[in-house]
Amino acid sequence: MTTSLRALALCFLLVAGSAWGLEVVDQTGRTLTLPAPPRRIVSLVPSVTEILFAIGAQETLAGVTDFCDFPADAKRKPSVGGMISPSLEILVTLKPDLVVATRSGNRAETFDQLKRLGLPIYLVDPSSVGDVMRLVGGLGELTGHRDGASAVTADLERRIKMVGERIAGRPRPRVLYVLWPDPLIVPGRGALVSELITLAGGESVTADLGAGYPRMSLEAAVGRAPEVIVLASHGGGTPVGRDKWERLESLPAVKSKRLYTADGNVMHRYGPRLIDGIETLARLIHPEAFGPEAFGK
Amino acid sequence: MTPLVQFDGVGFTYPTAAPGHGRFEIRELSFAVAPGEVLGLIGPNAAGKTTVIRLLSKALAPSRGAIYVQGEALSSLGRAEVARRVAVVPQDVAQGFPFTAQELVLMGRFAHAPGRFFESPADVRIAREAMELTGVQALAGETLDRLSGGERQRVVLARALAQEPRLLVLDEPTAHLDLRYQAECVALLRRLHREQGLGILLVSHDLNMAAELSDRLLLMSSGAAVTMGTPEEVLQESTLERVYGCRVVVDKHPTTRRPTVSVLWPDGR
Amino acid sequence: MTGPARLAAVCGGLALLLGVVAVGSLLVGSARIGPGVIVDLVTGRGPLEGAERVVILGIRLPRIAAAALAGGALAVAGAGFQALTRNPLAEPSILGVSAGAAFGVVLAQISGLGQGVVEALGLTAFAFAGAVVAGSAVYLIASTGGGLPVHTLLLAGVIVGIFFSAAITVVISLVDTNRLGGVIHWLLGNLAPIPAGALGVFGATVALGFWLVLGRARALNLLALGEEGAQELGVDAERLKRRIFAGAALLTGAVVAFVGPIGFVGLIVPHAMRMLVGSDHRVLIPAAALGGGVFLLSADTLARTVVAPAELSVGVITSFCGAPFFIYLLRSRAGRVMP
Repeated sequence: MTTSLRALALCFLLVAGSAWGLEVVDQTGRTLTLPAPPRRIVSLVPSVTEILFAIGAQETLAGVTDFCDFPADAKRKPSVGGMISPSLEILVTLKPDLVVATRSGNRAETFDQLKRLGLPIYLVDPSSVGDVMRLVGGLGELTGHRDGASAVTADLERRIKMVGERIAGRPRPRVLYVLWPDPLIVPGRGALVSELITLAGGESVTADLGAGYPRMSLEAAVGRAPEVIVLASHGGGTPVGRDKWERLESLPAVKSKRLYTADGNVMHRYGPRLIDGIETLARLIHPEAFGPEAFGK
Repeated sequence: MTPLVQFDGVGFTYPTAAPGHGRFEIRELSFAVAPGEVLGLIGPNAAGKTTVIRLLSKALAPSRGAIYVQGEALSSLGRAEVARRVAVVPQDVAQGFPFTAQELVLMGRFAHAPGRFFESPADVRIAREAMELTGVQALAGETLDRLSGGERQRVVLARALAQEPRLLVLDEPTAHLDLRYQAECVALLRRLHREQGLGILLVSHDLNMAAELSDRLLLMSSGAAVTMGTPEEVLQESTLERVYGCRVVVDKHPTTRRPTVSVLWPDGR
Repeated sequence: MTGPARLAAVCGGLALLLGVVAVGSLLVGSARIGPGVIVDLVTGRGPLEGAERVVILGIRLPRIAAAALAGGALAVAGAGFQALTRNPLAEPSILGVSAGAAFGVVLAQISGLGQGVVEALGLTAFAFAGAVVAGSAVYLIASTGGGLPVHTLLLAGVIVGIFFSAAITVVISLVDTNRLGGVIHWLLGNLAPIPAGALGVFGATVALGFWLVLGRARALNLLALGEEGAQELGVDAERLKRRIFAGAALLTGAVVAFVGPIGFVGLIVPHAMRMLVGSDHRVLIPAAALGGGVFLLSADTLARTVVAPAELSVGVITSFCGAPFFIYLLRSRAGRVMP
């Protein structure tokens, strides 16, 4: 309900604004004034790239980073380099009218350089599922793909609801999610994965720790006696550290053999695939609630 | 006549002690060097001879008493001022010194115009003259480590002369030289003394050379003056045996008639 | 060749080399721009708008200026510090100043200074504050009643440097992993285009530091005789040491503040220049200033073209050059490197 009200308000703003130029509020509350709706966007954030493709706005995408690897077509877009030190020269030659960036992943100095070069920056900083929904909506407004955006958010809401129904009333097992094994990095307060775990019917044992993705000692993790352990893999050969955990035979999770590996890329990106993350987690946490046909569309 | 250098009741104590000893100190030292005089400073190890040099070059400051150079208090003179009047010829120049002989001699001109970036043509001329005086003008472009001990010595001496001082202070000038270079060194110093009228303060272990060159000798021991006077007066067998702790015989040099000191080498039994 | 003539010849030659390298740098980069356009832009005839103008005048040129300035500053600081301590291993980071400045910047980045133009100046201010704190600490620790003993200075510099490095490590280990990338990237040392105003301040600071060191170049030569030896020749060694320390610290602090911590330049370039032009600081210091510019500019150009469109940190390249150079130095001129 509120989403469509907001959409209405933004539409109004857009109509009102188009007479003099476009006034847009980005995801961190900053206001940008653009002369026209952006037609050449450089995305420095892989999740934003994913969202732009998902809502059908990929033709407005003029440039991406080396890390924007989903969907496959994203890899065919010109790249400006890494997220930490993108090549300013290439960025400028792509002649963008808007750059989308994030404070967690890109550097503040990059924003500064871009500002000095006269490029408007649309900052995103999602940390919750709700933020992702708003981000999808916001990008839809920005690129004039409101319908595509609504379709994506509606689908996300529907599937989240479905998972919720399946796990309703079931007891929540204690879940430990290992983002990185050594040093041990876990999801804390306000981390997306913490919310995914909750939506998937689990109770994250690290939800009370520091903001974002803090470090934790192995002792402390073991002390919280998790019943399910999920180890994130980051693609191609990065260490998962399975054997380290299997040796801790006293842990409930190890005793009942509930030590799983999951693809980190769908869990950590603030994009439409987070629902895949939720569904994966839900199936790991509550296998008894999901049969093989559970996630058919 | 104002003495070139005057030590007036000078006392000095090193801040730290060598292991096993008390703190070394100079006590109540008073002496003067007249203009154009050669004063030889002799004494056993740890007599304080090097300390005297360091007090004179302002490397150390006396804790008691005062030092005067040409009548002015040393404490009131800036370093460059002191360097224009007193030139120290150290025993050695550091190993691996990267500059050429001429560049080293030119460094002696620093005190005359510390604010200049490059040396003036006059500086270069004076430096060359100094090198000619000590006979090293042909070695101008050589780096120091290519030179023999004697040549190096003469280059350092040239540098001191380039400072155009009134007093030359020589710290063990013949310490590492063989006989030939020792003789050359003595000849050079004599000539300089005669022709330039320089005052010379000569610190040496070599009693015979000191006796040869000096107008007067100052014998020190354990930080205090023992006696001062002509070489004949100072180099007495009883005095030397008391100060140095070994048996000596004092003779006369066959040609110059100056005192020569010979050690009565112990038997070893 | 007499002193002034030699200085002019060396500076002329190196300035020419710097010019050539600068022009070369201007011509290469991740964006392909033709030399004709570049020449036009630089001589003021080029298009007044457009991506090419931004790339050449807004990105490449300021970056080249920053590299030349930073390289020269670090090399002069290194040469001064090597003369001051009579130690061939001395380089600006030994002063502890760069670690202090780095800590300042890390603090600023972690505390998430807000956006805006203030941000860039804010980072620089933090870095400078850090440099001042570290430099003062070293100075206070090392100075005794009479003066600034060199061995204590070295030790104090190392200790202060270790302290701030440890502080940086602590901050890094506590910080959110998302912010980590930026901090670590900065610590590796990267050149980025600096805005004209900041570039002016940077240049002025470097000029001041340069003057502090070069102004006493003749006395620095005498320092090769040892402090007492120099004093016997009329040098006020204590004042000289203080001035050189201040100059080197200022230069190092400025570079870390405006550009970031870059290692090895202050070590390699003075030695290389000494091998080329000799040990007379009146020629060596200016040679180091120009040679340092050439070195860092070349390294940075490599850094931004070798794996384009991604960029290497320039600190990586200088370290890669530094280690083998250092080995060569030790083996070929062992014992003859420095007085």
